Amino acid sequence: MNTSPIESWEGAEAVFTFADKPAILILFLLLAVAITAGTIIIAAVHEKHAYSSH
Amino acid sequence: MEQELAALTERLAALESASAMSGTINSEIFYWWCTALMIAIHAGFLAYEMGASRVKNVLASGIKNILAFAFMVPTFYFFGWYIYLAFYNGLIPAADGAAGLPWDLSMGPNLADNATGIFWAAFTLFAATTASIFSGAVIERIQTAGFLILAILLGSVVWILGGAWGWHPTGWLTVKFGYHDVGAAGVVHMVAGFFALGVLLNLGPRVGKFNPDGSANAILAHNIPFTITGLMLIIVGFFGFLGGCIIYMPGEQWINIYGQPTTLSAFAFNTLMGMAGGIIGAWVKTRDPFWMMSGALIGIFAAASGLDVYYPPVAFVLGTFGGFVVPMVAVQLERLGIDDAVGAFPVHGIGGLIGVVSCGIFAAGYPNIDGMPPVSLWGQIVGAVTMALLGFVPGFAASYVLKVFGLLRVPDHIQEKGLDIVKVPVSAYPESYTPGPVNVVTPAAAVAPAE
Repeated sequence: MNTSPIESWEGAEAVFTFADKPAILILFLLLAVAITAGTIIIAAVHEKHAYSSH
Repeated sequence: MEQELAALTERLAALESASAMSGTINSEIFYWWCTALMIAIHAGFLAYEMGASRVKNVLASGIKNILAFAFMVPTFYFFGWYIYLAFYNGLIPAADGAAGLPWDLSMGPNLADNATGIFWAAFTLFAATTASIFSGAVIERIQTAGFLILAILLGSVVWILGGAWGWHPTGWLTVKFGYHDVGAAGVVHMVAGFFALGVLLNLGPRVGKFNPDGSANAILAHNIPFTITGLMLIIVGFFGFLGGCIIYMPGEQWINIYGQPTTLSAFAFNTLMGMAGGIIGAWVKTRDPFWMMSGALIGIFAAASGLDVYYPPVAFVLGTFGGFVVPMVAVQLERLGIDDAVGAFPVHGIGGLIGVVSCGIFAAGYPNIDGMPPVSLWGQIVGAVTMALLGFVPGFAASYVLKVFGLLRVPDHIQEKGLDIVKVPVSAYPESYTPGPVNVVTPAAAVAPAE
């Protein structure tokens, strides 16, 4: 898999992975959002369980 | 001759290019180290909160604070930076804010952009500071999930909206009212302090804090030296914070966030003088080392809005006033039945308020740029009211919703047992813990002058 958006460093600007593939950028962004939101849900579930078992 | 002239021109162009790149990289380096220093603020708040907690809650308080830092980073990337760039006119986003959207080509490694990442990082650390301010107020009885939702709301939405309005070259508070707040007394400290107050009203006090007749009990910090050291660490970090409040212009004089010329020297004079005044004012009032170090912070906030222009003794007097007055606000808060465990609202909310309003008195008449109004008391009052409401209303409303859904307060029987044993897999002091002599005074009694 070629993740590079550039073929040469000459004149390169945005050099981050998948900079030329917006669909993949959005996919990773959504994954990051899901991890962030999901962790809060996990925290809520963990707490409810901890409180009910004490 | 022509060949020599052409060679000279070429060398001159190369030198200019090298000089410009050197300036750009120096700017990056400056904000890189400001950001690193600001992490000391978070470390300080971590020590502060853990020290202020009882032994049974030390690690739960630490976990909460660390998670706040962790959640600020991605959420400020997802939407915080966009809010700053887009909402400077109010609540309708401007089109040029699109540069802050997380899929913009400037929001990642980009060889043509040496600024976005480093400014995003610095602002993310400002966000972490607001979350930490709030975090201390609610220790020992807030649920982690509810806390994280509130911290994200404060750090990645609310304060940065205030930043867009009043800490931005074209923010509406500056453009219409000449609002001046170079050291973020309003946009960071007032917003965070008033947000904490709004949450505290719904969260309620720690179990055992108040008696049925309304009188307060002292809930003693388990490690005051750790708390005081944490406060000193916050002050170290504030030199990064305040450095990040001014703009490095390669080859030119520094400018503040409003585009007015300033110097780091101005900030050095007034930050230290305000800090010293705050310590002295708090010591005179309380004789309490906890309040002395809180007074150092209050002193900085009391001078923060006009750090770029104050005569240093003015900053000292403001700091002394803040350090003397704010502990009394803490007493009144407790008498109202509000349990602010570390004094976040008095220190940041009222300290910031003193800073914003006093700038309208002691820096009135300083000119703005591009035809914007000069600094005035009216402009500062409008800014102060805006920041207070911007903090309080979302804090109160969001915490009320969380309360309705049972996501805000730790059940009382769990508070009595201690949060660490219930939800933390390790122990803070597994071998032993020997408490020292206990001086049983309520915070209200603690601010009475000592003999």
